Amino acid sequence: MPTPSTTTETVTLTIDGQTATVPKGTLVIEAARQVGVMVPHFCYHPKLTPDANCRMCLVEIEKMPRLQTSCSTQATEGMVVKSSSSVQAQEARKMVLDFILANHPLDCPVCDQGGRCDLQDFSHEYTATSSRFQELKRVFPKEYFSPLIETQMNRCVQCMRCVRYCDQIMDVKALAPTGRGTLTEIKAFGAHELDCEFCGGCVQICPVGAITSRLSMYEFRPWMLKRTDSVCGYCGDGCQITFQTKDNALIEINSTQGSGRNNGDLCARGYFGYHVSEHPDRLTLPLIRKGDEFQSVQWEEALELVGQQLLDVKAKYGADAIGGLISGRCTNEDIYVFQKFMRGVVGTNRIDSSARYGHLNGVHALQRVQGTHRWSVSFEDIESADTLLLVGTNITETNPITGLKVKEAVKRRGAKLITIEALNPAIGSISNIVNLAQQHLGVKPTGFSTAILGLLKAVVEQSILDAELQGKAPAYFNAISARLQALSWDAIFAQTGLASDLFTEAAQVFGQGKKVVVLVGPGVLRSEGGFGMTMNLMDLLLITGKLTNPGCGLAPLAEENNDQGAFEMGGTGAVLPGGTSLGDPAVRENLSKAWGRPIPDTPGSSLPQLIEDAQQGKLKALFVVGENPLASLPPSSGIHSALEKLDFLVCQELFLTETAQKAHVVLPACSYAEKDGTFTNTEGHIQSVRTAIDMVGESRPDWEIFSALSVMMNNPMEYGDVKEIGKEIRNLLPGTRTLGPAPLPAQPDSSAIARYVTTDYQRDIAPRYQLPVNDAATDEITLQVSQSLFHSGKFSRKAKGLLQVEATGKIYLHPEEAARRGISDGDMVKVSNSLGEVLTPVGLRERIPQGVATFPEHFDEEIRQLLPYKVDPETQVPYYKLARVHLKKVVGS
Amino acid sequence: MAQYETILLKNMEQPGYSGSLEDYERAGGYQALRKVLKDMQPDQVIEEVKKSSLRGRGGAGFPTGVKWGFIPKDHPGPKYLCCNADESEPGTFKDRQLMERDPHQMLEGMAITCFAIGAETSYVYIRGEFRLGAKILEKAVQEAKAAGYLGENVLGTGRTINIFVHAGAGAYICGEETALLESLEGKRGQPRFKPPFPATHGLYQKPTVVNNVETMANIPHIMNKGGEWFAGIGSPPKSCGTRIFCLSGHVNRPGNYEVPMGMPFREFIYDVGGGMRSDKPLKAFIPGGASAPFLTPEHLDVKMDFEAVAMAGSMLGSGGVTVMEEGTSMVWAALRLMEFFYHESCGKCTPCREGSSWLTQILQRIWNKQGRQGDLDLLDELCKNIAGRTICAFGEAEVGPIQSTLKYFRHEYEELIREAEATRPQSKEIPVFTH
Repeated sequence: MPTPSTTTETVTLTIDGQTATVPKGTLVIEAARQVGVMVPHFCYHPKLTPDANCRMCLVEIEKMPRLQTSCSTQATEGMVVKSSSSVQAQEARKMVLDFILANHPLDCPVCDQGGRCDLQDFSHEYTATSSRFQELKRVFPKEYFSPLIETQMNRCVQCMRCVRYCDQIMDVKALAPTGRGTLTEIKAFGAHELDCEFCGGCVQICPVGAITSRLSMYEFRPWMLKRTDSVCGYCGDGCQITFQTKDNALIEINSTQGSGRNNGDLCARGYFGYHVSEHPDRLTLPLIRKGDEFQSVQWEEALELVGQQLLDVKAKYGADAIGGLISGRCTNEDIYVFQKFMRGVVGTNRIDSSARYGHLNGVHALQRVQGTHRWSVSFEDIESADTLLLVGTNITETNPITGLKVKEAVKRRGAKLITIEALNPAIGSISNIVNLAQQHLGVKPTGFSTAILGLLKAVVEQSILDAELQGKAPAYFNAISARLQALSWDAIFAQTGLASDLFTEAAQVFGQGKKVVVLVGPGVLRSEGGFGMTMNLMDLLLITGKLTNPGCGLAPLAEENNDQGAFEMGGTGAVLPGGTSLGDPAVRENLSKAWGRPIPDTPGSSLPQLIEDAQQGKLKALFVVGENPLASLPPSSGIHSALEKLDFLVCQELFLTETAQKAHVVLPACSYAEKDGTFTNTEGHIQSVRTAIDMVGESRPDWEIFSALSVMMNNPMEYGDVKEIGKEIRNLLPGTRTLGPAPLPAQPDSSAIARYVTTDYQRDIAPRYQLPVNDAATDEITLQVSQSLFHSGKFSRKAKGLLQVEATGKIYLHPEEAARRGISDGDMVKVSNSLGEVLTPVGLRERIPQGVATFPEHFDEEIRQLLPYKVDPETQVPYYKLARVHLKKVVGS
Repeated sequence: MAQYETILLKNMEQPGYSGSLEDYERAGGYQALRKVLKDMQPDQVIEEVKKSSLRGRGGAGFPTGVKWGFIPKDHPGPKYLCCNADESEPGTFKDRQLMERDPHQMLEGMAITCFAIGAETSYVYIRGEFRLGAKILEKAVQEAKAAGYLGENVLGTGRTINIFVHAGAGAYICGEETALLESLEGKRGQPRFKPPFPATHGLYQKPTVVNNVETMANIPHIMNKGGEWFAGIGSPPKSCGTRIFCLSGHVNRPGNYEVPMGMPFREFIYDVGGGMRSDKPLKAFIPGGASAPFLTPEHLDVKMDFEAVAMAGSMLGSGGVTVMEEGTSMVWAALRLMEFFYHESCGKCTPCREGSSWLTQILQRIWNKQGRQGDLDLLDELCKNIAGRTICAFGEAEVGPIQSTLKYFRHEYEELIREAEATRPQSKEIPVFTH
């Protein structure tokens, strides 16, 4: 294992005459690296278990009879290692290269790896310019591998890094060596083209040019590329990415081992989804509506119009007739300046952001119970947890890199995994986290609330309780246990199909955990009752005494890259920057002093409230930044009529989205690849976003547009560059510095906990501890519109790489569910309920539970008309991901 | 021909012996298991095997009792025994006979071994081509189970000993113990690097003993007659007991012969095996399976024990003695073996994977009279860089035939190359590269 044991015991050894002191268990190759001795290797990779197959890293070790592979030998006290100082080892390496080059085609001039190829580099270092191999090279016939990943097996050095990565890190096992000896080649596991997670890990980890990306094939030489370290703009995991650009064009994305929160691992979205910024549909000039048409105009004209309109509406109807909505994809600086503009220049708190779609449920639960708006754990805590509980995460598809942390904990470090997921344990083309679970509680997407209550009931019945806290807050414990006692196991079974002993076993495993992390995903956060469910999971951590223990905590997963930042920057109306309350006059006063402009004391409002007010004619103008509510929300939300009723709609966008098409003015913004700033990831880690390519057309960073508008509105907020905004934010909020590689997570606030367990819990405990009403009719099926691994919102549909993997929506069913209904793969079905009917093709997936159908939300243009809409009474989060529908095969399909 | 007292083949030498449980019991079978379960502690069994000086019959000759002793005593959770029945070494065919003709002998040995090391589950990993053997073993396991020798309550002791027969899929490398374990786990059959060794991290990373069929077959006899009895047979102190040697090649009576270890090759080939098949004298012989370097007539008086053969520069290996008469081309013989190793190299380690193809192509060229000056030096160097540079012993094995024929019969290579040089057109033109 590359990870040395946690003991501080060290050993001292000598490598090429240099003394190295390293933790016991360190491999010789790593010890050498620490004293600057680079031992050449192909198959070794610090992420992977050693395989010792390439034989390149042979070293001479005193008292050992023959050369040893330094990648598989642990350093011991007093060991004397000779690497470059050993003639024998040097000769052996030369010969290993001769052996490898025997069958290697030497097609470097047409190989994309040329210039960053380990084989090339070591050949330069070790071998003569000609080979003694004069026999025939083996030649593999060229085979089509996959739409995104290309293989050239003649170049393969059989190091198996790709195969091991795919298995050990990704848990996908899509690659396998076939054939024997020199005829060993890497193929997709099974007689079909590669069908996998397309994380690009095999491309990144290949030491030679055997596996390359088709998206950048033949387009570059490594030395032509300009590197820009930045952060991925898709999900909340916040992965470090390096944009590789050539002549202002995006060529490829890498991520560097050892850097970023992802430690070099990426998913399909991060690795292959980078073409959005360069899409030909990007807006290049501001647009103004003239009748039914848009007209391109210069910035001055557009800004003047927007400024004037906003001033007019304000004058006529008051500032609260103007609302704002900003995307959680924007940078912290954009969001901060937007809310400052809305509050300080327009004079209204009526703003909201996409954090409202679900992330707020998590943040508010954290804030209410433990007094922090961030996780009290980090990714490192997930990796080192001994017990993990996943609830409604579908983590592989929503937050794949956080998923890797879970896999690391379970697969490599032996953590116990409990899953409450709407997934079947089944092997498929992508990894399935519930396959790793020790205790899997499989439910339908409507069953999370009941399953959480079942787990709580089992915990209380087993008395897995924190006696100390129980002594301090007996009423809180009594209230919970009384309500749980009132729930019968029969009723829980009726709703989940899970018997009490399953909950009991899971509760016991949970109770034994010393370092317990609970991860919550969209299945909970975006489903009806999401806030209540999240609160109940906080209760679970509290009553078992885990919440305040180091390494323990609740971790709600953010869907968008800067959902967390949108909250922290004050992007949700009632919350000011820093997660402070708008309702607190002292906070308002401090902030208005810092800004030098008053902050209105009118209430903030949520997106559902904005829609309602627009429908009632109370909201006259809406400023939408990077959001596309027409495509995000179902018709049942009333968004269509709301937008129709507006006097003035301005959209600031990359593309002419459905919402932008309804706008009066469209302002072209630039994407994350074209600007500087910061994103805050799901664990509250702030990271720098950097400019990789020039701004497309006349597009501008969002903050710059707000700043220009403020000037137009005679209330200027001027910033020279984004650093000035960052400085202002940091001065205001000390906790928002871009942090080092391993940030310290927030600490639960004991006074907040005390307040919660003494009085605050009473407010909503009754509704939270009730089973939901179950109105399932037998021939109906639960439709869940959910996240796909290959897309992120509607945004990624502009990424040509991702469209190669998934370009259309299908309704996915379990094969048996489909068979029972006489439906086969590819059939057209009519999906209907009281809201409408839609025709869609069918796909089959074993991981989907029976009685459930899923549909990727990224392609929900039609299917979303079937989705009912509800708003959380506590957090105003709109729920619209689930529906009950009928399925009928369309005859003749 | 002189007669030698046999131990392992004794039952099947009886006329009408079918290998059934009934026959085996009649011949005294399963008495050892009864005795062990009734009277002995696991440690005593291991001690007895150590006393017998029994060494592994698979090829490496590791002391069996010592191997068992490496199994951690206080390990919680399962331990395993795997019987290596993947007999694939060219020129070796003894295990097949033991399994097909007297399966209970080895099963009894396995049951005793399970008791000694504390394993409840054991596997016979049998070569995929041995369809008949697998069928016979499977039937024998069922018989033994029905009779209470195997299963959940062995002979009423409450002890569980299960044996499962698992067929390989045709890879020579799966006879290497760690590749065998990988294959048994359902993975690609390739050796693991060591350490850790199977004794601590074997099947499913649990303590595991891997023993050869013939080794297992010896165990009941050692238990019945005592370690000292066994240690007195053969060539004490280090090569005790009998061994089944498989005689093949240009001899009169090829076949399996069980003889005491320490017999000189001359006696084995000429007396036991009836000598050469024609009037051509012996030119060379392989003393212990295809992996063992060739020996020559000057080695005929070497004793067939582990140390003596090693001293002579080869190894006793799997016990496959292949004899070649005068007139056999040693280049051809080396090529034939090299082609086998090329076909069977698993491809894990670079030197073996690439080297086996390279060596084969050079030998093919030399044999086809297209050898070049310098080929022999290159062969030498390639061999040196394969042996000892790989995870498993396959590296050493594949260069053995070449290195030994280069040592004893270099002139045959040189002659073929000379011929090639003489007939090669001396063109000054730039050669056109074609495939």
